[in-house]
Formats: sequence, C-alpha cells, structure tokens
Amino acid sequence: MTTKSTPKIMALTTHCIFFDAYESAEHGLNTQKKIWALAQFCQSTGDFVDVVPANNNLTLYLKESEKLASWLPLLLEQWQETTTKDFASTHHKLPTIYGGQHGPDIAHVAAEHNLTVDEVAQLHSSKTYPVLFLGFQPGFAYLDGLDPKLYTPRRSEPRISVPKGSVAIGGEQTGVYPETSPGGWQIIGHTDFKLFDINATSPCAVKPGDTLEFVIQEVLK
Amino acid sequence: MITIVKPGMQMSIQDQGRVGARHLGIGQSGCIDPYAQIIVNRLVGNADNNPVIEITLGLAEIKFDNDYYIALHGTDMKASVNGNAIEPGWSFYIKKGDVLKLNAARHGFRSYLAIGGQWQLPDPILDSYSTDITAGFGGLTGQALKSGDSFEVIPKYNTKVGLGAMLPPKSTQIRIHAGPHAAVLPKDTIVNFINHSWHVSPNSNRMGTRLLSDECGLEHDVSLPSMAVAPGSIQLPPNGEPIVLLNDAQTTGGYPLLGTVIDADLRHFAQLKPGDFLHFKFVTLADAFKAKEKLTAHLNQLAIALKYKNK
Repeated sequence: MTTKSTPKIMALTTHCIFFDAYESAEHGLNTQKKIWALAQFCQSTGDFVDVVPANNNLTLYLKESEKLASWLPLLLEQWQETTTKDFASTHHKLPTIYGGQHGPDIAHVAAEHNLTVDEVAQLHSSKTYPVLFLGFQPGFAYLDGLDPKLYTPRRSEPRISVPKGSVAIGGEQTGVYPETSPGGWQIIGHTDFKLFDINATSPCAVKPGDTLEFVIQEVLK
Repeated sequence: MITIVKPGMQMSIQDQGRVGARHLGIGQSGCIDPYAQIIVNRLVGNADNNPVIEITLGLAEIKFDNDYYIALHGTDMKASVNGNAIEPGWSFYIKKGDVLKLNAARHGFRSYLAIGGQWQLPDPILDSYSTDITAGFGGLTGQALKSGDSFEVIPKYNTKVGLGAMLPPKSTQIRIHAGPHAAVLPKDTIVNFINHSWHVSPNSNRMGTRLLSDECGLEHDVSLPSMAVAPGSIQLPPNGEPIVLLNDAQTTGGYPLLGTVIDADLRHFAQLKPGDFLHFKFVTLADAFKAKEKLTAHLNQLAIALKYKNK
C-alpha cells in the first residue's frame, strides 16, 4: 500500500466541519468505505444534525457549535482507527429501456465512441455500480464504475426538463434522475425503478454502499 | 380560512426548515430570514417554529375569513387592510372578510406574515412544514402558493394589538469564513473577490443569490470532487460569477468554494434584490460566535419585553 498523506480537516463555519480524504486516497472506493464508516460513527454520537458523505470527503453539521474545538482533533484520531469494512448492502436491479424516445442522446453517445446503440446498452448494463453517496437532489445516487469507453461530456446546453427515471451519463459518471428536473447529462434510457418517495418510511430506495445494476428491458431504435 | 388572492412574484409556506436529511439529498428549505420568522410569530402569540408565509417583492393579496391577529416583518411593502396601513413589526387585529394588500417592496425583497393560531396544513414532512419548491413537497401543495390556494388557521387570541418589535439591523457587508479551496483556485482569486463590490443578478432565487461584478475576472477551470454544500456556501462556477447558496440549495456540489457566510449574516440575503450591491469580509470563528450571540440576545430581549407587555 502506498503512503497516504493526512486528510485535511477544516472548520467551514462555527458548526460545520469538512473532512477531506480525497488527496490521500490511494483508491477511491476503499477511501469511500472508510468515509462511510466514519460517517456511521459520527452519526452514532448524536452530536450532529447532519452527517453528509460525498466524494471521498465528509461534512459534519454540529448541533452545538461549542463542540467544534473538541471534534476537530477527534476526527483524525477516529479516521486512523477506522478500517475499511464491508457493510450489509443491498443489490438493486433497475429494468431499463435504452434508446428511442426514452434515450434521446444514446445515438450521440454511441457516435462519440464509435459504438452501436446496442453496444452502449451492453456496456452500460454489464457493470455493477456501487452507490458512493446521495446528493444534488433528493434520492440522486452518485455511482462509481462507469466504463471509461462511455465517458461522455455533458450537453453544452442543459435541458430545461429531464423526465423522472431518465438514465444518463455526465462526464465520467452515470446516474438516474429521481424527479423531473433541469439537467445537462446525456440521456440514454429510462427506468421505472422508484429512487425517491417522500411519503415512504425511508424516502430513498438506495443507500451509500448499496450496488446497482441496469438490466436491459429493451433497446429501442 | 386564509385564501391567496394574488401571490405576487413568489409566496410560500416556510418554517425554520428541514434538517437531518441532507445525506439523502434533501435540502433545508425554510425562511431565508429565520429571525424575522421568529419575531412575527412571537408578535401573534405563536410558537417560534410555527410556519409563516414568505412573501417575495409584494404585489400580493391575502383574504381572511375569520378574525385574526397578524404581524408582518421584513421589508416594508406598504401593506394595508381597508386602506389602513399595516406597518411592519407590529401586531394587528383584522376582521373576517378583510383583505391584506401588499404593494411592491422598494428597499428590500422579502416579508414574513404570521397569523395567530393553529395552521391546518398537510402533515409535516421530516418534521417540517417548509415548502421544498425544487423537490415539490411540503407546505400546502409542495409548490409556491398560487392564486386561489386556501387553508384553515384556527385562530388563537393570546396576544394584543400594538405589540412592536424591531429586526436586527440590515447590512450589505457580509462576513464570511475562509473556505477550503484558496490554494486550488488561480492566484489572487480570493483577494479579488474580497476587494470587489458585487451586485445581485436578476437570476437569483431561493436556491442562491447570484453575483455579478464588472471586470473582476474570477474565471477558472478548476473541477473538484463533489462535497456537501449548505446555505451560506459561496460557490465559484467556472464563469467566475459567485453564487451564495440559500435555503433551497442542493445538498452537494462540485464547484470550488470562496468561503462560507457566517450564520448570523445569512438573514441579509432575504432582503438583497437584483441590482443591490454587497461586499464580503473575512472574520474569525470567534467573531462569528459573537455575531450569533448578539442575535440570540436580541431575541431574548424581545421575549422578556413581550412577557411584560402581555401581562
């Protein structure tokens, strides 16, 4: 294992701490597993209103700003004791219709990489994607592991309205829009899998550490 | 019954917002000026976190089908009922059938309306009545209030007419904490940001106040891994036009941060309207603690004064 530099820890406000392990990461997913473990530990202390993991970093919102000074050194100690462990996670299968009116950008993605529409669907659905964290909008899952052959820049002009359930590629990432919203990613398909339901006991169907798989239902031309 | 006759530019039901669900991507929502919200609620005898109506710009009308105590605070929208002025910062008694009329705000942007009583709204979502306009839930319908929307408030008459309270003073000098990205941004970015005066873009909304400046040159091509953002985070997109995130902001973002607005100064963004000028100043954590204590003291003084006056 390569030597790691120490994560950066900084008070962003009187009640907010930013813990950044990105630059110390020897492998993104391993570091992310440690971030999940640290998040779980922080959550269990009851000192925080919100504990928000993102890409190899963690932001903590304190209930009482008086505890800021004591948490700053504590986090680093805790990190050094944290080991990457695997969580009890759920694997989700998302039936997906690729192309046609459900995937208006799939032809563009295919042309960009000298692939056929079928090959794009095959490549996209042949991977298992770990959920790194949720953010951007309710229930939106940031996924790891898009095949580099499918990396495609975002649209130069974002769409005003991307339909709920759209399966899309943005740069080196892929994801599903949980609600209809504006968006700049390349839309390649659609899933009826419900990622977010505000009236459900747990509003988000997936959680960090879970894995997703897109299953081809149909490839439309 | 409360009926929205004319919502004006934007009107929504808000309380102190929704916390504890940022890790699910669920944002905060809530009043941009939580102090104004607390003060108007106290003037009408409601609990501090009772929902209120946040009114943007004015040009609005609300009809009341019962007798109520009401209070408005925030900017002066030249409000009136039956031709009688409803001054901001005072409790008023209005009669069944009255219509509250608001003109356009001239010196600020938002006003908060409290109605004394029990608001009959759909069940709170994650412990909050705040409307999350972007995600489409909370409040009355999950959306900004529209003409014809109505809801019941069972009146409570446990206050009196003519109670007044001031808001903490306004400022266009915004105090901020240093951010984590000074070293990755082009040289002088932070210095230029602080040394320039900024004006509010018309593209601003409850998600964020977008800032413009002539020839400031903060353009960059820095791309960062996503991190959590919250009201007060000052993002710098590649076009060099900073965005101060507000209550309806997303929970994570990938733009570098110029800093974070101190908690006590976030309320100023409720009153900044397109074209207004502002500038930023770095302060220490200790300064931010003190600023927050000052606001808490303001509320404590009000609580004591109201206790005395209501006797």
